[in-house]
Amino acid sequence: MSSVRISARDMLYEEPGPKAKRRIRIVTGISLAALAALAAAVIHRFYITGQLDPRYWSFFARGTTWTFLGKGLLGTMEAALMAGVLAFAAGFFLMLGRISSIRLLRGLCIALIEFTRGVPTLLFIYFFFLVIPQFGIQMDAFWKISIPVAISACGVVAEVLRSGVNAVPKGQTEAALSLGMRGRSVFLKVVFPQAIRFVIPALIAELVIVVKDTTFAYVVNFPDLMQNAKVLISNYDALLSVYLVVAVIYIVINYLLNRLSDRIAAKQKKPAERRA
Amino acid sequence: MNETREPIISLRHVDKHFGALHVLKAINLDVYKGEVVVVIGPSGSGKSTLCRTINRLETIDSGEILFEGKPLPLEGKELAALRSHIGMVFQSFNLFAHMSILDNVTLGPVDVLHTPKKEAREEARRLLDRVGVLSQESKVPAQLSGGQQQRAAIARSLAMHPKVMLFDEPTSALDPEMIGEVLDVMTTLAADGMTMVVVTHEMNFARRVASRVIFMDSGSIVEEAAPDAFFTNPRTERARSFLQSIHGH
Repeated sequence: MSSVRISARDMLYEEPGPKAKRRIRIVTGISLAALAALAAAVIHRFYITGQLDPRYWSFFARGTTWTFLGKGLLGTMEAALMAGVLAFAAGFFLMLGRISSIRLLRGLCIALIEFTRGVPTLLFIYFFFLVIPQFGIQMDAFWKISIPVAISACGVVAEVLRSGVNAVPKGQTEAALSLGMRGRSVFLKVVFPQAIRFVIPALIAELVIVVKDTTFAYVVNFPDLMQNAKVLISNYDALLSVYLVVAVIYIVINYLLNRLSDRIAAKQKKPAERRA
Repeated sequence: MNETREPIISLRHVDKHFGALHVLKAINLDVYKGEVVVVIGPSGSGKSTLCRTINRLETIDSGEILFEGKPLPLEGKELAALRSHIGMVFQSFNLFAHMSILDNVTLGPVDVLHTPKKEAREEARRLLDRVGVLSQESKVPAQLSGGQQQRAAIARSLAMHPKVMLFDEPTSALDPEMIGEVLDVMTTLAADGMTMVVVTHEMNFARRVASRVIFMDSGSIVEEAAPDAFFTNPRTERARSFLQSIHGH
């Protein structure tokens, strides 16, 4: 390895020898050939089924198509952001209850966390879409998608936050207590700020799931990216091309989120590397 | 010692168990104002636990601990107030990892004593200067050497103007070349009249700085003496063999 950085791979495996290196080259070659063959087969299938026909693709040259998809993307981001914020707030309080010394509260929070983690997102959405209106409660489509997605994520957020809190060394709490700080201050000023740093990558991973869950917006007729894609599909009778483009957009968003998470994680390791 | 004065810390017949392990056995100890009491003994002898019971980071099973003549509060605001008068320096420094060195020192005064931020900063800089790490004030703890971190931790404790300082093996996690710089700071503190309880393996420090040496073994105080008497002429066989085993190194 020429690079100085130690990756997880370096820690798990030793440096490959000459034989292993040859084997790696062979396997890499075979894999590349297989991928190329697969791609060729897909394009060939597209060709013979007429999916490459200009009428399936030409509307992507129009600005209005992109404006429409852009509006959908904005809807997706708004719903995902709101769901993320709600999930974080609810997760924070569930976590506080979960680590509380009051047994009843702790039990209640464990039950809520397991409930939200165990029930599929779609069921929560149906609940808000079909059940709640029966009680005469009117809600925007925006809330009918962002609240259930948030509910579905908040239990995981609570557990992620709790694992972060548990990862903060006990000495940090002891040092704060020995200064005369009270429990609430110790938690809010010393423990939680460190806990959140530990779990930012896991929280962003959960945000990716939230973004993907917002695709259920079509159920409640909220104009997110997926819903607008469906409109395009029926307008142009172009299923595959639209789905492909939309999939690429989702991949880009989530890839960017994951990169963000990597960068934050790398930034946290830095101080230790800079040690005098 | 001046018998007419009240001790600032007083442990009376203190007992503590960790499960089946009897870590503190009928401990009696008085610490007077301005004294430096150095606690030594083999690992597992209960000396760290003893130190941590004084600000109630460890609870006790029976007996009594008095601070300025009053029993330690059991919990809440009163316990927090008591702890604010007792500085503590830990083996693993325990600086707040997410804060700059300066913020580490100002947090206590701002949060507990409600000192205005500006005033707290000025005082923190003065203290950091005193322990020789002022140039590191804007770094986070992980960027400092162990010795620098421990000196900053001492400054953090001093910022609360404690009446007593507890040192729980303050140099045990340090590389040999950094031990001296921390002991120097502690020696200066002692010379300035700070009341200190120091758990340590640094025999030279004990010899030079201690007003009294407490030797502990298996949860009991086995010997209590002036440093010269203890190191030149230990009374008990256990203290003698402990000192011999150390000199063997």
